[in-house]
Amino acid sequence: MRVYLRYAVKETLTNLWRNRMMTIAAVLTVAVSLSLVGAALLLKQSAAQASAQWQQGTRVTIWMQPTATQSELANVQNQLSTLPIVKNCTFFTQAQDYQEALKILPPSESSVLHVSDMPSSFRCVPTVPSNAFVVESTFATQPGVYRVTAPEQQIRQMNRAIRILQVVFLALAAVLLLSATVLILNTIRMAIFARRREVSVMKLVGATNWFIRVPYMTEGFLQGLIGSLIAVGAVTALHTWYPLHNEFQLNTNALLGTNAVVLVAGVVIGSVGSAIAIRRFLDV
Amino acid sequence: MIRFENVSKTYKNGTPALRDVSVNIDKGEFVFLVGASGSGKTTFLRLLLREELPDKGRILEAGRDIGTLSSWRVPYLRRNIGCVFQDFRLLPNKSVFDNVAFALEVIGRPRSTVESQVPQILDLVGLADKARNLPGELSGGEQQRVAVARAFVNRPLILLADEPTGNLDPTNSEVIMALLERINRTGTTVVMATHDKALVDRMRRRVIELDHGEVVRDQARGVYGIDEPVIR
Repeated sequence: MRVYLRYAVKETLTNLWRNRMMTIAAVLTVAVSLSLVGAALLLKQSAAQASAQWQQGTRVTIWMQPTATQSELANVQNQLSTLPIVKNCTFFTQAQDYQEALKILPPSESSVLHVSDMPSSFRCVPTVPSNAFVVESTFATQPGVYRVTAPEQQIRQMNRAIRILQVVFLALAAVLLLSATVLILNTIRMAIFARRREVSVMKLVGATNWFIRVPYMTEGFLQGLIGSLIAVGAVTALHTWYPLHNEFQLNTNALLGTNAVVLVAGVVIGSVGSAIAIRRFLDV
Repeated sequence: MIRFENVSKTYKNGTPALRDVSVNIDKGEFVFLVGASGSGKTTFLRLLLREELPDKGRILEAGRDIGTLSSWRVPYLRRNIGCVFQDFRLLPNKSVFDNVAFALEVIGRPRSTVESQVPQILDLVGLADKARNLPGELSGGEQQRVAVARAFVNRPLILLADEPTGNLDPTNSEVIMALLERINRTGTTVVMATHDKALVDRMRRRVIELDHGEVVRDQARGVYGIDEPVIR
């Protein structure tokens, strides 16, 4: 067993070194494609995280005309309090909204504002995020209402953008993963071809099939593993430095999960590539 | 030791290689397999190695029907069969020692066995002083002796030789034949396919002649030609 281990390790390393150019190509392709897969997974998770966070506090804001009368205000307030899809409502006076505007807007813009220009507003939380639209359609045309805004729309737009990005990433990754598998297959095939004399002698003197196969299998396995380790590094770097991380507070579990997927995918690609090569070209 | 029972083999392109061959070879026999090119000699040897399976009939080696052998056991069958070829089939980038050691290493023999067996067998074939040379630095006769050493280092029950003297001059052929005889005397069954008329005539061993896949002659102390009375 020890003799064989030493033999298998030596053979594997020799093969890798002999085909180093092909090996580098295969490893880099695995690395790039798996980095894309990892990035797409992180993106998906941060998108899910983001919409969960935003939707929790989804608010519908009913902005009243600055000139709205007391009866119009009372009317809206009454309706809101009887509407079952509205969980709770807070009324912001013109003065409160003015204070908020001062905080949000840069001084150059807020300085031209005046309290009497500001709309008063009802900040409402619907029971279910999607009910924001019902609130919007109910109040938008009521007297005294300036307009109704709901962040739902932005969330949807962002989600769609992320979905498209994800599909593009995954499609690219799929193509690259396929080429990585083919590259690994080809590297193993070349290694087998370079050693066909040895393989034929081995068969002749009665080496078992597994004895002959294992060095080529480990070669493909290693290529996949090294490639995926590089990808893990890239994904971790992305997670650490990409601003999405700070905004959406992706926890380390998400990173660990993504890295595990990347690692497993790399190993599977390497093993599948070499398995196909061995089946097709080793003939043992 | 070797038993062919009504063995027929036809290749995919339709050419029959062996037709209803029945042969019995006892342990320790030395058998020449003669016949024109394409008469089925090589197929005979390939069947023994289970590189091919017969279409009809059974082949028994050491009492076992090798047709029923599951494929993972084939390597273990081959460990009992040594092989020598016309083109030596040595590994050019390994030394003489390593070429012979390779045969032991790939069947998982420990280092200590390799280190004791290989010098012994190289001594037997008279190449102890060339152990560190590469095959390319050796003459054809010496290379074939390395091949014989590799085939015999595992002490197989059967030694198959496919035209082992085909690339050698008469002197070197003699050396190889002397080696095969010596191996035969240890109890190893030797089956040798050959075209070398002079050699077969001089050795006076059992001769099996194949013609278009059929056994046309099986003679106990035979010669190459058919100018003597033959068994039809």
